[in-house]
Amino acid sequence: MNPVLLWFHQLGSPPTFDRFAARWTPWGFGLGLLGMAIGIYGALFMVPADYQQGDSFRILYIHVPAAWMSLFVYGLMAVYAAIALIWHIKLCEILAMACAPIGALFTAVTLATGSIWGKPMWGTWWDWDPRLTSELVLLFLYLGVIGLNAAIEDRRAAARAAGFLAIVGVVLLPVIRYSVEWWNSLHQGATIKLFGESTMDASMAWPLWVMVFATKFWFIGSLLQRARADNLERESGKDWARAAAGVPR
Amino acid sequence: MSYLEYVIGAYAVFAAYLAWDFLVPRLRLARTRRNIVQRARREATRNTGVVE
Repeated sequence: MNPVLLWFHQLGSPPTFDRFAARWTPWGFGLGLLGMAIGIYGALFMVPADYQQGDSFRILYIHVPAAWMSLFVYGLMAVYAAIALIWHIKLCEILAMACAPIGALFTAVTLATGSIWGKPMWGTWWDWDPRLTSELVLLFLYLGVIGLNAAIEDRRAAARAAGFLAIVGVVLLPVIRYSVEWWNSLHQGATIKLFGESTMDASMAWPLWVMVFATKFWFIGSLLQRARADNLERESGKDWARAAAGVPR
Repeated sequence: MSYLEYVIGAYAVFAAYLAWDFLVPRLRLARTRRNIVQRARREATRNTGVVE
């Protein structure tokens, strides 16, 4: 068998995943924290103030990466859920359900920081604008997945039901992404583009890119830590879980 | 810095999120480990009939 495929198959085994997560979780958190320290330092102390928004624009250095993460994590959760539903891979159920609280927190940060920025710039904490409203619906979807997963006692049936909801909710992602183009929106259009020219000057954009990568590393750490906790809880009766918990044989 | 209180408020929310996201699963992992150890102790006590 191809060594990469073999590695993937082995990673699906709970004890192998536990060792893998224990090894890489500190790296995810560590690189995430380091990147965020650099990005936030640049955002607060190195980048000049915006000529129209003053210093309030510095909020976007956490708002935009959090918003991108809220969509990215949802997409990944749906992919894991689909794999879990089709091939019945338990680890993918665990990973899908571990994505939900992380994504919900990123969505809550997006809404909160957007609201804090909106007060001085728009003159209001909240507006039923298409972008804001669709992001709020995304938060409710995350909470629905978390709630459904917690409501069913059988862990595997719960993950399958919640995973199905996650897959159905994917239709919301393009609505959020294109809401500023499809409808009249108070929210500004995209100023930073992955492909194509950004309308933000490079001298102001670099901390944002650092934050975008840093949040990805943080997510890896958080996902592995959450999945490891769930994996150990589900397997708590097994010998390997006892050994991992420090029970002498 | 203009709008200082808004900038501080937004970054404080973000810091609180990071702390929550780091601590909650860590505490859950520690609790699960503790439960496994306690269960193993109970089973050992039941099997040997010795009460510590």
